Amino acid sequence: MLVLVVDDEPQIRKLLHTGLSGYGYQVITAANGQEALTAVAQRQPNVVILDIALGGEPDGLAVCRRLREWSQVPIIMLSVRSGESTKVAALDAGADDYLTKPFGMEELRARIQAVLRRTAMEPASSPTAVIRSGALAIDLTNRRVTVNGEEVHFTPFEYDILRLLAAHPGQIMTHQTILAQVWGSDYRDMTHYIRIYVNQIRKKLGENPSANLRYILTEPGVGYRFVDPEYVDHDPIDRGRGDD
Amino acid sequence: MNRSMRFRAALRPFPYLMAVLVVGVITLVLWWLREDLTLANFSLIYIVGTFVVAVWLGTGPSLLAAVLTFVSFNFFLIKPYYTLAVEDPREVIDLLVYLLVAVIAGQLAAYARQQAEAARLNAAEQNVLYTLSSAFNQLTDRASIVHVLQQQLPEFLPVQEVEVLPQTVERPSDANSTTSYLLLQAGQSIYGTLRVTFTAVPTESQMRLLMACTVQAAMALQRIQLTESAQRSQSLEEADRLKTALLRAVSHDLRTPLTIIKTSAENLAELHDRLPQAEQLEMIYSINQEADHLNMLVGNLLDMSRLQAGALRINRHWNALDEVAADVAAHAWKRHQSERLQLDFPDDFPLALFDYGLILQAVSNVVENALRYEPMNAQVMVRGQADQSEVRLLVINHGPTIPEAQKAQVMEPFFRGQDGRVGLGLAISKGIVDLHHGRLWVEDTPGGGATFIMALPREEETAAGGIGC
Repeated sequence: MLVLVVDDEPQIRKLLHTGLSGYGYQVITAANGQEALTAVAQRQPNVVILDIALGGEPDGLAVCRRLREWSQVPIIMLSVRSGESTKVAALDAGADDYLTKPFGMEELRARIQAVLRRTAMEPASSPTAVIRSGALAIDLTNRRVTVNGEEVHFTPFEYDILRLLAAHPGQIMTHQTILAQVWGSDYRDMTHYIRIYVNQIRKKLGENPSANLRYILTEPGVGYRFVDPEYVDHDPIDRGRGDD
Repeated sequence: MNRSMRFRAALRPFPYLMAVLVVGVITLVLWWLREDLTLANFSLIYIVGTFVVAVWLGTGPSLLAAVLTFVSFNFFLIKPYYTLAVEDPREVIDLLVYLLVAVIAGQLAAYARQQAEAARLNAAEQNVLYTLSSAFNQLTDRASIVHVLQQQLPEFLPVQEVEVLPQTVERPSDANSTTSYLLLQAGQSIYGTLRVTFTAVPTESQMRLLMACTVQAAMALQRIQLTESAQRSQSLEEADRLKTALLRAVSHDLRTPLTIIKTSAENLAELHDRLPQAEQLEMIYSINQEADHLNMLVGNLLDMSRLQAGALRINRHWNALDEVAADVAAHAWKRHQSERLQLDFPDDFPLALFDYGLILQAVSNVVENALRYEPMNAQVMVRGQADQSEVRLLVINHGPTIPEAQKAQVMEPFFRGQDGRVGLGLAISKGIVDLHHGRLWVEDTPGGGATFIMALPREEETAAGGIGC
């Protein structure tokens, strides 16, 4: 598994190289945007870790946009700023996920695994008829949801949102994506409806956040993320510091 | 200017002509009736005419009218007609008395008219000045004072153009007499020059009014400047106080974790082959923990300085406080690996307009503070309440009660709690809630403990109609 690390700080490149090698990845590095584009073209890595501020042109966002013109390689963006607009900009540029510095190596590894799993899954689209997560099971063919084996009634909108989130575990679904997929593109400014429906869904699923029993996680100002069954450590408070 | 004023102004160049005209008309009528009326009738009617001229046209014309009526009385109405001779010598006395009365009455009436006119002008001026000064009182910047002057002056003065020039401007030598240059001066300070262009040469009373307005404007400008400098010095003082507190915090609270990290790393580098593995792991663990602590402190310091500088932008959307509480509860579970929080929200808890990320941080700080003082066998309760005007979040702790005197202090930046730790969290929460025009305060929990209450205004849910609309 080949990982490309793009960061202008030699210290960070070295740390990530050491850390990721320790997890068994093969690591190559790039110090600026131009090197990164060349490295992706020549070495075809399986995943790119891309810092948003590269201290020169092109910056991380520009690199991400250019890569997306010809490559589907999964991209995880790194940033010291975690303001909502930065996150949305990263996702809009085509990034698959983002992480705010400082982060733990374990968390980075989990994110890498998650994007790799998603890209591995995608071509087959959804051959699974049932999505399972903990006590929750969603029967896609019959539109039936059960929690602990008991059927729970969902309204059509609630079901569509839940299915959309659950079909992409660990992946951020922005408010815009949810609105466009569930209601259609005419409802762009109606994000507060999503909040009302998600609240209802959470109650019906019997979430108990005090005991960390959660299915749907909030990405402040950006959207929602269904829990990744492989990796559940998600904490908006540690990473949710607005910086812009 | 009203209509009668304009009418009077139009007649002003010919008051003497008007006086002659009035006397002529009366004389014509009396001449026609001269066989039917007595001498007493003539004099009374003439007196009335003189009065009218006096009240209408003033002193000079009334004197002319008195003399004219006296002459035409004698010439047209007293026998023998068309001479200035008098048949009956007693009528000479009548005529002289008439002249005296007409002159005195005319002068008195004209004087009364002048007084009334002066009083009316005075009242109008007072009214203008009152309007101006109450308009000025509500203003807080120079531009709007200039704007009010430009709007209001043409309302009561025949003014074409009003301009405020910066600082002192010499009256140009080629300036014509319809343009006035007035210094906006209050006390020793000069706030510019007011240049007013009239449509015609201004009268004395118009100039007087303009000068009074200028004084009012200068005083308003002075008040604004004084307020601004008072605010500046207050915020400088506040910034200075914060800087001192910040330096203290940096020297103590940042150095402690740095020291731990440095010594642990050094120990590991020097002694790693001589230390038992458990001890090495402990050092690694504390480096990690102190780095987290440092990260949090730096984040808090940045947030605090941003709040103080007013540089924090808020991004308000319709959000659910129960969603925020759920995120905080999950975070608490991760930190403590046990159910330390209990959530209590009604099913139909309403949305409110707020910045999710910022309020999440504010609630998280309040909850972390409550957890720090919560007895191990109890849970912090997070409860939602809503009424017509507000949504409220109550964070109920069952630890020690906060003394009355400290209730406001605990939310001040750099307040040191009982454990000696520097407090920025609650101050940041307070700052964030203030940004949302909300309130954050602390009450006693019945039975002991502190209850922090965060209230956010509940705006009209105008956006929350049906999704089809």
